[in-house]
Amino acid sequence: MLLNGTITGLIMGGILSLPVLGVAVIYGITGIPNFAIGVIGVFGGFITWYLFPYNMGLAILTGVAACFVVGYVTQRVLLTPISEMGGDSTLFFIITVSLGFVFEGIIRAVFPRPNISIALPRLGTVRFAGYSVEAFKLVALGFAILTLVLIRISEEYTEGGKSWQATSQNLKLAKLVGIGTTRVFSIASGIGCALACVGAIFWGSLYNLDLSSGWDLGFMGFIVAVVGGIGNIWGGMISALVIGMVMSFSGYFLSGMWQSVILYAIVILVLIVAPKGILGSERSL
Amino acid sequence: MPEQGQTHSDEVILKVTGLACSYDKVNALKGIDFYVRDLEIVGIVGPNGAGKTTLLEAIAGTVPVKQGQIEFLGQRIERWPVLHRRRQGLMLIPQDGNVFPAMSVRKNLEVSVILSRHAQRRELIEYAYELFPVLWERRKQNANTLSGGQQKMLAVSIGLASNARLMLVDEPSIGLAPKLVTRLFETFLKIRQDTGKTIVLSEQNIKVLNIADRLFGLEAGEIRFDEKTENLSKEAVKNLYLGRVE
Repeated sequence: MLLNGTITGLIMGGILSLPVLGVAVIYGITGIPNFAIGVIGVFGGFITWYLFPYNMGLAILTGVAACFVVGYVTQRVLLTPISEMGGDSTLFFIITVSLGFVFEGIIRAVFPRPNISIALPRLGTVRFAGYSVEAFKLVALGFAILTLVLIRISEEYTEGGKSWQATSQNLKLAKLVGIGTTRVFSIASGIGCALACVGAIFWGSLYNLDLSSGWDLGFMGFIVAVVGGIGNIWGGMISALVIGMVMSFSGYFLSGMWQSVILYAIVILVLIVAPKGILGSERSL
Repeated sequence: MPEQGQTHSDEVILKVTGLACSYDKVNALKGIDFYVRDLEIVGIVGPNGAGKTTLLEAIAGTVPVKQGQIEFLGQRIERWPVLHRRRQGLMLIPQDGNVFPAMSVRKNLEVSVILSRHAQRRELIEYAYELFPVLWERRKQNANTLSGGQQKMLAVSIGLASNARLMLVDEPSIGLAPKLVTRLFETFLKIRQDTGKTIVLSEQNIKVLNIADRLFGLEAGEIRFDEKTENLSKEAVKNLYLGRVE
């Protein structure tokens, strides 16, 4: 049962870590908390679901690309200009939550059903140590880890990654040395929303997606990111896995109803002990 | 590196006219006229709160201009974003927050050459290492693990790596031991000699008299004097720091 719980937790954490990475990328680089990220991701999930019967690959690609574009454009025309004018966290909270409701409304108006599930292929099962797990779930976890590694590698070796890291560490100096920070912001927001979309697609195939899923994913992503040290990508990943475990084990030892009580009590405790999150953060919310 | 030489061409490359800026509703600059000639080292001196930083930041574009004009290499730049001014050849090294803290020394320099041609990048970084060998020794260390003096060297190197024609440096001597100040100031002379840069320093350290061609005295957002260094006595400059006006 221990192994069972650990694996379920890892997978839950892995899927959870995608919107968390999205939040971490966006907030870590732009310094703007975008609460609409989950709803935008779910919007992409609905697009994928809608196109799924025609071609699976194309459907996923379209959904993810649409989210990238939405993230890029909202950052460029809305959030960056407001940030340049000196907008504060409260303003961004209201604006991005409103943005979330706009996209929730669009989902409701455009798509024929408010509750969907995406039938990704299950890819059979993998067995080890007497336990079997759906290969598909491992793919979800693997994707999260791969994304994280790719981000780190690009930060180390590519010009884009370096400018991106520089922008997150010292925005003013980044501008002064000649980095196009406006573009970095837009791309970060696009990637963040695209990651949220991948998270939503996995979520929609393991459970289901409805109008409120976006808020669940988005806020959960935020809480996990804050616990890990907001903007800190490694912290976010660790925190996602730990919280995945907590959710999994609290489900085993107590009834599922207690899950959120235990989870959020732990979140509050962690933040009292370490207000900047497990791995700390250059920024604070 | 560009051709060597130190002959002043007398060409004015930066001209500020009637510049006014306010900062948190305080008028930090009240109509400043300021100019810099090619290859000059100009020191902006004045007490704390005189507006030295605001003047440099307004030129670089990190503080908005309320009124007045800034002309750089024949272009009106006062409404340009930071990046455009940077492309035009102007770079500010801020007083604080002048390194990328959690990045290695090497990466700090690598992101600073981003606007230069690939062929030139390596040369720019190597020149910084040549000027400050300690940075080469510490190239793999994160900037926030360097000493104060080394961080300052890195900050100057970031400015150098950016290969700007006009380098604005905000109070480079602050927090440095006297010996290091002398050495850093001598480095500025060498930088001009080697690279043909024009340098503007804001300073409170009297040693700026030893390297600047011209001093520009600022107090309470207004000009107090604009004199060639040879015509200025230490006393006149010191008086300004004490807030007395001749």
